[in-house]
Amino acid sequence: MGRRRQRVDPAAGARAGALPEAIAALSRSLPSGPSPEIFRRAKFDRPEAVTLAQRTSALWQLLFRVLSPLPVGNALASLALEAQAHLVKSALCSQGYPRLALAQLPEDGSQGSRELLLALSWLLARGPVPEQMLAQARVPLGDEMTVCQCEALASPGPPAPHMEAEGPVDVRRVQWLMGKLQFRWRQLVSSQQEQCALLSKIHLYTRGCHSDQSLGHLSVTEAEMLRDPEGGQQLLQTLERENQRLEAVLAWRHTELVFWRWMDTVLGTCAPEVPAAASQPTFLPWVPERGGGELELVVRELQALEEELREAVERRRAAWEAKAGGCGRGPEWSAARRASREAVEKELGALQQCWKQDSGPARPHGPHRLVRREDGAAGERDLRAAEVIRTLRSQEACLEAVLRRLQGQCRQELARLVGALPGLIWIPPPGR
Amino acid sequence: MLPADCSRRLVAELQGALDACAQRQLQLEQSLRVCRRLLQAWEPTGTWALKPPPGPETNEEDPLPACTPSPQDLKELEFLTQALEKAVRVRRGITKAGERDKAPSLKSRSIVTSPGTTASAPPQSRGQAGQAGGHASDTRPTKGLRQTAVPAKGHAERRLLSVGDRTRVGMGARAPRPGAGLRDQQMAPSAAPQAPEAFTLKEKGHLLRLPAAFRKAASQNSSLWAQLGSTQTSDSMDATAAKTQFLQNMQTASGVPQPRLSAAEVEAEAGRLRKACSLLRLRMREELSAAPMDWMQEYRCLLTLEGLQAMVGQCLHRLQELRAAVVVQPPRPCPVEGPPRASPSCRGGAEPAWSPQLLVYSSTQELQTLAALQLRVAMLDQQIHLEKVLMAELLPLVSTAQPQGPPWLALCRAAHSLLCEGGARVLTILRDEPAV
Repeated sequence: MGRRRQRVDPAAGARAGALPEAIAALSRSLPSGPSPEIFRRAKFDRPEAVTLAQRTSALWQLLFRVLSPLPVGNALASLALEAQAHLVKSALCSQGYPRLALAQLPEDGSQGSRELLLALSWLLARGPVPEQMLAQARVPLGDEMTVCQCEALASPGPPAPHMEAEGPVDVRRVQWLMGKLQFRWRQLVSSQQEQCALLSKIHLYTRGCHSDQSLGHLSVTEAEMLRDPEGGQQLLQTLERENQRLEAVLAWRHTELVFWRWMDTVLGTCAPEVPAAASQPTFLPWVPERGGGELELVVRELQALEEELREAVERRRAAWEAKAGGCGRGPEWSAARRASREAVEKELGALQQCWKQDSGPARPHGPHRLVRREDGAAGERDLRAAEVIRTLRSQEACLEAVLRRLQGQCRQELARLVGALPGLIWIPPPGR
Repeated sequence: MLPADCSRRLVAELQGALDACAQRQLQLEQSLRVCRRLLQAWEPTGTWALKPPPGPETNEEDPLPACTPSPQDLKELEFLTQALEKAVRVRRGITKAGERDKAPSLKSRSIVTSPGTTASAPPQSRGQAGQAGGHASDTRPTKGLRQTAVPAKGHAERRLLSVGDRTRVGMGARAPRPGAGLRDQQMAPSAAPQAPEAFTLKEKGHLLRLPAAFRKAASQNSSLWAQLGSTQTSDSMDATAAKTQFLQNMQTASGVPQPRLSAAEVEAEAGRLRKACSLLRLRMREELSAAPMDWMQEYRCLLTLEGLQAMVGQCLHRLQELRAAVVVQPPRPCPVEGPPRASPSCRGGAEPAWSPQLLVYSSTQELQTLAALQLRVAMLDQQIHLEKVLMAELLPLVSTAQPQGPPWLALCRAAHSLLCEGGARVLTILRDEPAV
């Protein structure tokens, strides 16, 4: 077992022992995190037979959990080590992980613990990983409802097993699937309505119960806990475990500086890599089909928009020239034109900011806890149902307009394609 | 018949949408089951158990003695039962008006909060100490109702005691314990143990109280999350600097000075540009539909349109760059498809709201409207996506199909129905034969 260098850094005020503390906190804050020993020893790649393999596989598994956005208990969680390692490599690469050595590691977990440690630290440095993982596995004590649409089109997980290599299908099958989809949506709506009614009743009947005045009534989870004390016991234990992890995360945040200094030394022990021209050119080893397809869709949309704009601009420009061409070109004229130009530039600049910014919409993200109050009063950080309804209605109107426009485009296009044929009469379906 | 690759894509898309729906439905149904069960009468989950006056944890090693109660014990219990029944009768007489302002003597002081309650006999139906595993003295305060536990002494004993009395004894024994409890129950009719009053949320829901341990854990939980939120925003400068330094070191050590564009970033950028497209289009609509009053406005309109055109050009240029950066390499054979998409910004979040915020509603109607609108928006989103996919697949087929015989007509009809009517209505095609 090697010795780590004792760094006494006055700036950080680190005493000898801050590093183990930090590592211990980190290990406690990660889900089923490897023991601190593993972290420390991972720095050394010496194949100490048993322990090296242990370290390495523990780290592969941890990385897999960190990178996989799916909740635990999913089918993916029970994959073999090789498969997990492969997916880890793929995911890291798609996030832009710089080190090539990782991609070349054997996937059986026999070596490479130092590289894995570096990969983990890279992820930790880029984002609040322990917090995110905690938030993901969080125990929802209330009845949660998610307002934003971020998860709406989230990946549905591993592709369904019936990815049959189907041959050509009849278009009627497509129509049938579409109908089935509509039916399922209607089912969803009615189930959802029933659930809301029940939820509302439960909230109503248990008002006045909660110790927390701002909540006022029990949630389904809490009521269920009272009805079934065993389940309640489990819930309590889970909650307490979460509290422990929260404390660990807080401790980690306080002591992490020492860890980063240490990681710099770990990095220093690696030989600098040479970007081999032959082995791995700049490529993305895995581009999701959907992602590639999405690029195409966007390109097509923008091109269509470009067309429309070009026509509009030509028309307007011609009209303008005709109208204003005859007018004089006095100084106040050009001043006015300049003022207009500046105003337009500013406006469009502001418009561009709307999508340039990385941050999401101003609307709050994430799940909200449903609370029933007769007066509907809400604090400043809370949402009111009435406001959300308003927002959703305007969204609905917007989306309906988009859909109608698309359908109108299709109608025109189809009319153009088929209209030329003689001897056919096209009778549109009865209007809505 | 549609060509094979087109079929595959279409079926895959629709199947994906169907699966997503099915998943939601499953979750909803699960939740519905739970809610319905809560609203019905609560059943007893296990055997009632009594605890002999305070002997905490005495029975750990003796979980479930299957002994029969001694006659002595039975007699004592009988006496106890009668005494308690009398007490309850007396109290009931006092509080006939239903006011609960008596602090009964048997009531422990530690009972939480408000007006004294006539300790009464809660029906046995609420969850008791889960005796399923035969945990003997279940004095954990996490129970929702004040119960005590002793090793179950068999059915005989239970039948002896009326519903209420069991709890009464229990209460006495647990006097020092701060239990959560069901307060102020209407007494079950006398000593008949046969037909205990069922507990329904509707009638007695407002009397429930959460267990103390749970409350403590929950408040600790929310305060810890709040702390996390505050440390997040005021992250130590040193730590951030150290992290940035480390990332840079990693980058330089790998020999590549500039980070390459990653798939996740390409996707994020594509999403941004899609948003840009819709915003630009919206703006264009506004300009085109506004009727300019004077030449000044007209000029501005023209400038705006030209500006929009330039911006669209920029976006397209950026997209071409992205396309070029993405060189698709055939992926290695993999047991499972590659990792799912990078985490959406929502989870964890750019601005993570670590402590949960509230969504306040005031009536069932409001909640239902809210939920319905949410589903509607999600559905429209999906429909628009499917529409685009269908357009991309079907329109080329219609335009290039040769010869244009009956199969082609069928295709046109189907395409029209899917693309223009959302699959809901179909048009009719009449062959107009020239009169012979």
